Amino acid sequence: MRPFKYTGANSPSDALKLLIKNPNARFLAGGTNLIDLMKEDVERPDELIDLTRLDSTSFSKISFGVNTAGVSLGATGKNTDAAHHPEIRQNFPILTKAILAGASAQIRNMATNGGNLLQRTRCSYFYDTAMACNKRSPGSGCAAMEGINRMHAIFGWSENCVAVYPSDMAVALSALDARIKVMQADGNVRSIPIHDFHRLPGDHPEKDNNLNRTELITSIEIPTNKFAAHSAYVKVRDRNSYAFALVSVAAGLVLEGNKILSAHIAMGGVAHKPWRALKAEALLKGKIASTANFTAAAQAEMTEAKPLSHNKFKVALGRNTIVSALEIALRGAESPI
Amino acid sequence: MEEKNKSIGKAVNRIDGILKITGKATYATDYPIKNMAFAVIFKSTIASGTIVNLDTTSAEQANGVLAVITHKNAPRLNEKGGIRGGALLQSPEILFYGQHIGVVVAETFEQARHAAHLIKVDYQKKEGKTDFEKLATSAGAPRGKELADLIRGDALGMLDTSAVKLEEVYETPIEHHHPMEPHSTIAVWEGDKVVLYNGSQIINGAQAAAAETLNLKPEQVRIVSPFIGGGFGSKGGQWANLILTAVAAKVVSRPVKLALTRQQMFNSVGLRQQNIQRISLGASKDGKLISLVHETTTQTAIDSEFLEPCGDCSKVMYEVPNALISYKVAPMHMMLPTYTRGPGKSTGSFALESAMDELAYKLQMDPIELRIKNEPQKDPSNGKPWSSRKTVECLREGAKAFGWANRKVVPGSNRVGDDLIGYGVACGTYPARQRDSSAVIKLTKSGENVFAIVEIAASDLGTGTNTILAQTAADGLGIPLVHVTVKLGDSDLPPAAGSVGSVGAASFANAVNDACTKITDELLARSAKQFFIRPTAYQLIVSENIKNYQTRVDAKAPKEAEQYSAHSFNANFAEVRVNALTGMVKVTRFLAVTGAGKILNPKTARSQIIGGNVWGIGMALSEESVMDPRWGNFATRSFGDYHVPANLDVGKLDAIFINEEDKIPNKMGVKGIGEVGIVGVAAAIANAIFNATGKRIRKLPITPDKLI
Ligand SMILES: Cc1cc2nc3c(=O)[nH]c(=O)nc-3n(C[C@H](O)[C@H](O)[C@H](O)COP(=O)(O)OP(=O)(O)OC[C@H]3O[C@@H](n4cnc5c(N)ncnc54)[C@H](O)[C@@H]3O)c2cc1C
Ligand code: SF4
Repeated sequence: MRPFKYTGANSPSDALKLLIKNPNARFLAGGTNLIDLMKEDVERPDELIDLTRLDSTSFSKISFGVNTAGVSLGATGKNTDAAHHPEIRQNFPILTKAILAGASAQIRNMATNGGNLLQRTRCSYFYDTAMACNKRSPGSGCAAMEGINRMHAIFGWSENCVAVYPSDMAVALSALDARIKVMQADGNVRSIPIHDFHRLPGDHPEKDNNLNRTELITSIEIPTNKFAAHSAYVKVRDRNSYAFALVSVAAGLVLEGNKILSAHIAMGGVAHKPWRALKAEALLKGKIASTANFTAAAQAEMTEAKPLSHNKFKVALGRNTIVSALEIALRGAESPI
Repeated sequence: MEEKNKSIGKAVNRIDGILKITGKATYATDYPIKNMAFAVIFKSTIASGTIVNLDTTSAEQANGVLAVITHKNAPRLNEKGGIRGGALLQSPEILFYGQHIGVVVAETFEQARHAAHLIKVDYQKKEGKTDFEKLATSAGAPRGKELADLIRGDALGMLDTSAVKLEEVYETPIEHHHPMEPHSTIAVWEGDKVVLYNGSQIINGAQAAAAETLNLKPEQVRIVSPFIGGGFGSKGGQWANLILTAVAAKVVSRPVKLALTRQQMFNSVGLRQQNIQRISLGASKDGKLISLVHETTTQTAIDSEFLEPCGDCSKVMYEVPNALISYKVAPMHMMLPTYTRGPGKSTGSFALESAMDELAYKLQMDPIELRIKNEPQKDPSNGKPWSSRKTVECLREGAKAFGWANRKVVPGSNRVGDDLIGYGVACGTYPARQRDSSAVIKLTKSGENVFAIVEIAASDLGTGTNTILAQTAADGLGIPLVHVTVKLGDSDLPPAAGSVGSVGAASFANAVNDACTKITDELLARSAKQFFIRPTAYQLIVSENIKNYQTRVDAKAPKEAEQYSAHSFNANFAEVRVNALTGMVKVTRFLAVTGAGKILNPKTARSQIIGGNVWGIGMALSEESVMDPRWGNFATRSFGDYHVPANLDVGKLDAIFINEEDKIPNKMGVKGIGEVGIVGVAAAIANAIFNATGKRIRKLPITPDKLI
């Protein structure tokens, strides 16, 4: 870890001003990702601008019906508080489940909603500064491409990077069609659909998302949904808790009797961003909710998968996990924890 | 002493429990020593080659830096002094990825860590041997004699003619010990003597190795290690970090603290090696074993050999007239492997006990009955009688307690919703030994009370050694437990064996017990009174009104023990639930039934067994250190990807001890439980997964991808 300066911001615009002043400054939220990466010498800011002093403002609160009929999660609100909020448990249970499927209770108590969206990949070559990694140092190569890539992408990767984006929360946000509200340097606000927030690696794997350096996430806006009673988050991992997903699926079904009016499916652990299973969704629309239809839709979604040398299993696992999540969603009314 | 007043055999709480939960127990780095400097190690980023240039200028100029020590300026050390794994900064040669290449010492830890990042190294790379899969095909015979082939009868010939045959390959990955307390040391020089606060499973071993390596006499080195935050074998031998701390303290003429990071633990302090085990079994139609072949192919460091004896269980578990147990090893550019809980037995039993389950399935026999059918009456490897062996009782009693009768014989036939449920069984064993240890007991009379201090250079890994020694002394002297103080973990104390190879309890407790007997004998000899019943030391001290008295004993294992084969044995029962869609496994119930002689403290003993079971669950389902074959580095670099079990992975655990009176291995009848708790666990779980799903997984860990 390199020496750095610690600065506290008093307001979101103050935070942005401080950031603009120093090109090597970074925002600090819960620090559960950024500090780890600094210890590993992967991130090397010389100044941290602490956002968590803004706790008392709307920046950290959960509020309902602000701009949409849904919920707004303040950027510095803690993951734990979002997960356990009674109205979120009731109306957005996949969000609760997804957050609680991630990390550990201690980390979730520190981790913020904004920080969670911006957590970086867990590719072990990215973390190891002795290894070639285009995401860490553009142009150096990708050690994972021909390496131990069991945890890596099967969709949307490029020759430059095969990493996956690790957040569980964001997978649920994708299924929920959330929007990310952002404050810009001039104080203007823009709102980015979650689907456009994270990027595929393409030629610029160093860019995880479409947030500009001088932008600050202020909140996550989630619209109401009609599938709270029929939703599921299934995370398959190497141990039952405190492990990143091999594959995860957030699924919601809007049903009319036995008929699927619409399906909302997003996958984690398979791409550089939450992977919205649009093909499967399209196939399920208007169909009867049955194992056979679930399987056919899941199968169709996986046909375009391009697995790497160590992660061929993710194709079958992805299919099975979609089916599993849809089955649980169909059964419905499962308690979020 | 009346039975009800006895402490041994009771589930006494740990005497140091309060110290531990209140944070007052002093682990190696917990000593508030004045004027301390902090050291951080930096490591090679190639597996094989030579350092041609090492630029330390900016590190040396960084804030707070006191010294940068590399092969260029390190003092000459004795590399054959008994430190494991090399990496003592004696030459520019690199033999494995992550070899220590230098130490930065600074005023603060943060300054040292920062400066370590500023060091620039140029290497001349050589092609490294880092691809085990390739190297395994050309592995050769080990150099060590203890792993020479065991040949009994004509195993290969008889295999061919056996009515029922099975030949399978079982694989286990590299694992790491990863004790909670990373290896860490404080070194304080006092003139030409050095005090090393350092978690050490073998106090006198650490002292000897440190002294030899530093070119000192043993009395110039003191090891202080009253508490150890786990070791599992990795603190049995000592590694370069201990020595480098002493060197750093010498160089900066100040006390120095050096703690390895979790990442550094992957290539600093040994590991459990990767094993490929081929098992062939030949049996008659009614399940009598005729032939057993157990061939292990494994890996070791390029310049030094360590093999875990995977064939050990196969030597003793079953009556089989023809056997061939052999090893091949591939030297590689990798960290030296070392003893890891249940060395050879935990991995070897995975292969053997999976194969037995496969054979039972082939024979359509109950796996418990197959084992009982092949129960040996004496040790098949050397013909010696067992001191005691209660495998059959373990199996029978375990089957009853676990509800084995509810097991569905047809694999995959027990389904609840998306979950497949299965039961599995496997046996395990570990040798029982006592090693030489000395102990001193000091008695002080105060009013009507007699207080005892027990001194022994034993170590307590966190297992409860402290507590069982206090219990032993309390009973041996006839005083209450609270009047006993145990001093251990210091090389200034009377020399003792180590907490390794499950010898700790037997060696230390017998020494303390012998010291109690001796002190009582001596006090009795001094007394002019006549006693009809042998008095206790307490009674003698009080009746003779002796203020202070002490004695020392040098305890040895009984000679007769050599005539026998002495082992702990167990039977493990697992219930698993496997999600049919996602392949995720949960061990819902686990029962270990163990025959381990006298159980000194059922509470700490149970913790030992279930602790072993938990690691066994990790071994079966999630733990794996993945080496990148291209460069010999580990792709698993933290607890984020080296998956030790979490609470959710562990279901209901239960431990039963079979009543076993066996005074042959040692006077107290203690067989040892440190290792046996992990032996057989992985196989029981793999067998349960087969019973649940019909899928036989022969490669650990059994992660979801292997089950879909
Ligand atoms: C051992 C471990 C296991 C984990 N397991 C999981 C898991 O299974 N699933 C999962 O989803 N996550 C997991 N996590 C990740 C965890 O969820 C993230 O570390 C956490 O959400 C990050 O939040 P933070 O507030 O601590 O972010 P920080 O570390 O403070 O910040 C992360 C990044 O976001 C930037 N940032 C923060 N807030 C803002 C803002 N408002 N505007 C602009 N930029 C901002 C920071 O500058 C930084 O670059 C795990 C983490 C650890 C350490
Ligand atoms: S996959 Fe991406 S993050 Fe991983 S090494 Fe390649 S470029 Fe780096």
